[in-house]
Amino acid sequence: MFSSLKIAMVAILITGIAGAGMYVMKLRSDNAILKANQLKLESAVEDQKQLIENQKKDFEEILNANKKMNELVSVLKKDLEDLDKRFNKKNRDVGKLAIAKTKSIERITNGASALATRCIEIASGSPLTEKEKNATKKSEINSECPSIANPNYVPY
Amino acid sequence: MLILTTFLTNCSGVKKLEIFKEEVPRAQLNLDKPTPLQLENLRWIIITSENAEEVFKKLEEQGIDPVLWGLTDKDFELLAKNFARIRNQLKITNDLLDKYKEYYEPDVNKKQ
Repeated sequence: MFSSLKIAMVAILITGIAGAGMYVMKLRSDNAILKANQLKLESAVEDQKQLIENQKKDFEEILNANKKMNELVSVLKKDLEDLDKRFNKKNRDVGKLAIAKTKSIERITNGASALATRCIEIASGSPLTEKEKNATKKSEINSECPSIANPNYVPY
Repeated sequence: MLILTTFLTNCSGVKKLEIFKEEVPRAQLNLDKPTPLQLENLRWIIITSENAEEVFKKLEEQGIDPVLWGLTDKDFELLAKNFARIRNQLKITNDLLDKYKEYYEPDVNKKQ
């Protein structure tokens, strides 16, 4: 009876040690997984930070593009207003002027027509010439569309 | 005891975290921009009741058919303004295209 009790005790002890060993191994395995999870979470946080940064950059670019487009629309509107002024400044009547000074109005019209033609070329994507880029005086600019033809010209 | 330990270790296990992330970028459109226009200059002739005969005579002398398409001064003004509007629209559309390209295809723009 005493020996069977002994055997039972030893069996319980061995089972206990084996269980404890398994439990420790399981804990170590869990720990490894947790470490890997931690690394993944840290990487995900970094990715999110990067994403937010990129979004900020995108918003800035969108705002900037919108601003530039609005600026372009307003300078083009001004060119159109200037054209209207050329025809109607101080109740000017181009028809009467053409009757009185036919040759000079013809010359002016042809000059302006050539400049306007160049404006359309520029608007369609034609690169600016050095002369156009460097024009800063009224006598050097394309008076039909200085806003797109002469980037360095500041109206005075 | 062994059964109890097995239960304890297996039921409350830590699940392995899986994050799936696979982004396949869309192919870039990358179309070439239209070739800029190269236009011909045209010649305007102003005709009044006084110089009409002289103008037609000169045309005949130059071997040009003595016929002209006419506009009143008001219509000429409208034509000039219409062209300015078309030009502005062309410029805006062209710049808009550039902005879209810069935004969606920045790498392509750098290469160009």
